[in-house]
Amino acid sequence: MEAVLRHLNNILELLAVSRTDRVREWDRPTTQRAFKWAEYCEQLHSRYQSNPTVRSRLESGLTDTNRRLRETFPSYSPVEFSELAQCQHKLIVYLLRNPSSPHFIIEMLFPDQNSPSQELLAPQNSLVTRKSAFSLLCCTVNTTSSYYGLQTEPEVRGKLLGKLLNSILARPGNEEHAKCLLDSVRCDSAGKVDGFYDVIAGALLCSSDESQRFIITWLKESDGGLNTFCTVISPEVCAVISRQSPEFRKLYWGALKQWASCLEYDVTKSVWVTSEGAVSFDVLADRLRDLINSGESLKEETETALKALTLQDGDFSVKGVSVWTDLTLQLKI
Amino acid sequence: MAGVSETNVQFWMNKAVNWGEASSCSALLDTSRHLGPLRNFLQQILQGLQQMNSTSEAMKTFPFVGQFLGRLCWNSCVTADERSQKLLLRCLSCLYSAEPLNAVERKANMWIKNMLCHLISEEEGSVAHATVKHAGSTPMRYHTEALQKVVSLMVEEVSKSCDCLPNASARCSNSNIHTMSTACIALVTCTQMAPLIGALLKHSESCGSSCLNQEFINEVGEAFISKRLVLEDEAVISLWCQSALSLEGAAVSLLESVLSDHQLTTQSLDKHVNDSLLPQASARHCHIFLTVSEIYRNVLTEIDENLAIRTLIQVFTVCFLQRLTGQNSQDRLPLRAFFPNVMPSLLSPLLTAPSEVPREAWLDHLSWITSLLQSVTENEEEDVRAYQPMFEAWFLLVRCGYWVDTAVELLVLAASGNTEALLWLLTFFHHPTNRGHQRSQQTAVAREAWTHLRMLFLNHPPPPRHLSAVKELLSSSSISANLVLHLFSNFAVFSHGPVSIITEISDKVLTETAVRRRALWILASIRCRLNSASSRDDRVHSRLRTLQDTLLQT
Repeated sequence: MEAVLRHLNNILELLAVSRTDRVREWDRPTTQRAFKWAEYCEQLHSRYQSNPTVRSRLESGLTDTNRRLRETFPSYSPVEFSELAQCQHKLIVYLLRNPSSPHFIIEMLFPDQNSPSQELLAPQNSLVTRKSAFSLLCCTVNTTSSYYGLQTEPEVRGKLLGKLLNSILARPGNEEHAKCLLDSVRCDSAGKVDGFYDVIAGALLCSSDESQRFIITWLKESDGGLNTFCTVISPEVCAVISRQSPEFRKLYWGALKQWASCLEYDVTKSVWVTSEGAVSFDVLADRLRDLINSGESLKEETETALKALTLQDGDFSVKGVSVWTDLTLQLKI
Repeated sequence: MAGVSETNVQFWMNKAVNWGEASSCSALLDTSRHLGPLRNFLQQILQGLQQMNSTSEAMKTFPFVGQFLGRLCWNSCVTADERSQKLLLRCLSCLYSAEPLNAVERKANMWIKNMLCHLISEEEGSVAHATVKHAGSTPMRYHTEALQKVVSLMVEEVSKSCDCLPNASARCSNSNIHTMSTACIALVTCTQMAPLIGALLKHSESCGSSCLNQEFINEVGEAFISKRLVLEDEAVISLWCQSALSLEGAAVSLLESVLSDHQLTTQSLDKHVNDSLLPQASARHCHIFLTVSEIYRNVLTEIDENLAIRTLIQVFTVCFLQRLTGQNSQDRLPLRAFFPNVMPSLLSPLLTAPSEVPREAWLDHLSWITSLLQSVTENEEEDVRAYQPMFEAWFLLVRCGYWVDTAVELLVLAASGNTEALLWLLTFFHHPTNRGHQRSQQTAVAREAWTHLRMLFLNHPPPPRHLSAVKELLSSSSISANLVLHLFSNFAVFSHGPVSIITEISDKVLTETAVRRRALWILASIRCRLNSASSRDDRVHSRLRTLQDTLLQT
C-alpha cells in the first residue's frame, strides 16, 4: 500500500511536470518511460477502483499530494483518483497543450505508416476514428428514442453511465462513490443543464432497478434537480420512465401537482396563467396526455388520479374554477 | 501552384465553409457524398506541401491551407474516414516545424497541437467531456463501447423497418435506410460497423427494392474484395445481389485462385468452391447463376483447352446442384430458368448425377446423351445458325463433365464392342468444333490411344511399343494431347492391372511438368466424382493416391 501511494505520488508529479517547460529536456526514451508510468497508473486504478476501503485510502493520499504539488507548481490543477483511469490520455493532452513539448511527440502519437514504428505508444488514430464515427452516427441517425424526444447521443452516453453505475453499485459500500460520480459529471457539464439531464434520462431508461432507484434518489436530494429534470425532459420520455419506475412515477406526479398549484385563472383573458418561466397550462396538459397515451396501466392510473383531484376541488363542470377540471376538459376524458 | 488549381481551392473552401462546424445532419451527409473527390484534393495539397522548404513558405504559397485544414478537423465525417484522416494528419505534419524560426511558425505549431488535442478530446465544459472524463476507463474504450451501442441501436432500427408492411408509419420509411447508408460511407472498414453493414445489406434484399446509397454499396464491395471488411455469408450474398461489380469480382477471383494455386489439385476442391459462397448464392438467385455462367462461358471461349478451368466449372456445377436440391421444392425454380439457352431435352440427362443412376444403366444413359448431342451437331456444317445451340450444348457438357469422366471410366473396363458412343462423347468434349471434318480423325486417334492404353495397363512388364506410342500421343505436337491424358489418367485409376505399374508407366510417359500438372487436375475431377458416389471403392482410391503421389514428385 505504501509502495502504491508512492507510485501515485510520482505519477502526479510527472503529470505536473509535463505542463511545465521542463519537458524541453525530455528525449524519446524519457517520454516513453513517462507513458509507461501512466499506463501502470491506469492498471492501479483498475485494480482498486471498486474496492471502497483501498480506494478511500488512496484518495486521501492523493489529496495530500495534490496540496503539496499546488505549492510547488503555480498553475497546478488537482487530479482525483478516478481521473487516473485515463492517465495516458491526460499526459497526451498536457503535452499537446504545452508549447515546450518535444517535437517528436506528434509522430509518436500519430505515426505515419511510412515511418518505422519503433514507438510503444498507443497510436491515436483509432481513437479519432471511433470518436468521429460515434459523433457522425449520432448526428445523422434517427432512432426510435429520438422520435419520442431523446436524441441518440445522450441515450448512448446515458446507457454507458447506467452501466458504470450498475457495476459500481454491485459492490456494497460504494454509494458515496456513486453519488460523487454523478455530482462530478453534473459539475463538469458546467451549466449545460439540458444536455446533462438528457444523459440522466438515458441512464434511467436502461440501468438496473437498483441503479434506477439510486439515480432517482440522487435527483430528489439534489438542489432542485428533480424539478429541473421533469421540466427539461420531454413529456414522452418522462412517460416512458414513469412506466418503468414506480418511484419516478410518484415523484413526477408530485411535480405535476406542484406546477398545477402555481397556475391561476385570469378571468379577463379566460386562461390559466402562471409566472414567467414556470410550467404553463398547455405544457401541463401535454404532459398528462403523454402519460395517458403510454399504455393501459398508466392511462388508468392517471385518469383515476385526475378524477380524484377534480372531486377534491369540488367536482365542478364549469371552466375557470379548478385547474384539474379544466385539464380534464382539455384532455377530453 | 504545384497542381492545386485556383478553381478547386475556391470550390473546396466554399464547401468547407458551408459544412460549417458540421453538426447538422445535412452537412455531414453532403460531406459523405463528396469524400472521394475531397481525398483527391487533399492528396494534391499534401504533394504541394511536401515540396515546401518551410512552414513560412507553405503559408505564403497556400494561404488558404490553415483555415481549410482547420475546418476539416471539425468535420466528423472527414475525420472518421480513415483515408481522409491520414491525409489530413499528414498535411498537418508537413506544416509542423521541428525547429520554428519565427513567430508564424511557432504559432502554427501551437495551432496544430491544439487541433490534434481537439481531435482526441472533447470541449471542456460540455456534457460529452464530463461523461468521458468520469467514465472510469480510457477514452478509447469509452468510444469503442459508445460506437458499439449506436451500431446496435441502428441495427434494431433497420430490422424494425423490415417487419413493416407497406402502409405502416413514417418511421419505417426507406429514406431512413438511405440516410443511414449514406452516413456509413466513411465507416465501411471500421470493425465495429460490421453488424450494421450486414443489416443494411440484408434489409435491401428482403424488402425487394434497394434503397441503399450506391456509393455505399461500391465502398462495401471494394472493401470486401480487398479484405478490409469481413461480412457474414448472408450479407455477402446480399451484396452480390446489389452490386454486379462485386459479384463479378468474386467469380473472377475464384477462377484466378484455381489458375495460380497448385495446391488446390490435391486439396478438397469442392470445399474451396463452397467457401467462395458462389454455389449457395447461385442456387438462391437465378440472376447470380446466370452472371457466373456468363463469366465461365467467356473464359471458355478464350482459353478452352485449360483443364484447371474445366475442372473448376465442373465442381462448381456439382456444388450448385447440391445446393439446389437442398432447397424447399416450392422455392425452387425449374432448371429451364437456370439454363435458358440449352436444348431442353439435354437438361435432364446431363444434370442428373451419375450417383443417382444405377451403374448398370450408365452405358444406356451415356448413349442417350451422345445421341442427343449428335443430333445437335448434325447441322453444324450446313447452317451457320447451328453454331450457337451446339456451343451451348457443349458448354453444358463441360459443366456436367462428370458424365464424360463416367464415360471414360467405362471405356477403361469395356471391350472393343460398345465403345463407339463413349469415344464420340470423349472426342466431342475435347474437340467441339468439326472444322475440316477433323472429328472423325480425332475419334480415330481416341480409339488408337484407347487400344494402346489397354495393352499398357493390363500387361506386366508394359510393352515398349505401346509405351512409345502413348508417349508420342501425349506430346505437345499431338492434336489430342488432353484427350489422351484424360484416358491415361482414368486407365491408371480404374484398370485392374497391378498397382506397381502405375508409377513405372507414369514416370516413363509423363515427363514434362506441365503435363503432370494437367494430369493432377484430371485427378481432382475424378476425386470429386468419387466423393459423391454412393459407395467407396478402396481399390480405386488407393490407385488414385498412388498416381497423385507419383505426379507430385518432381
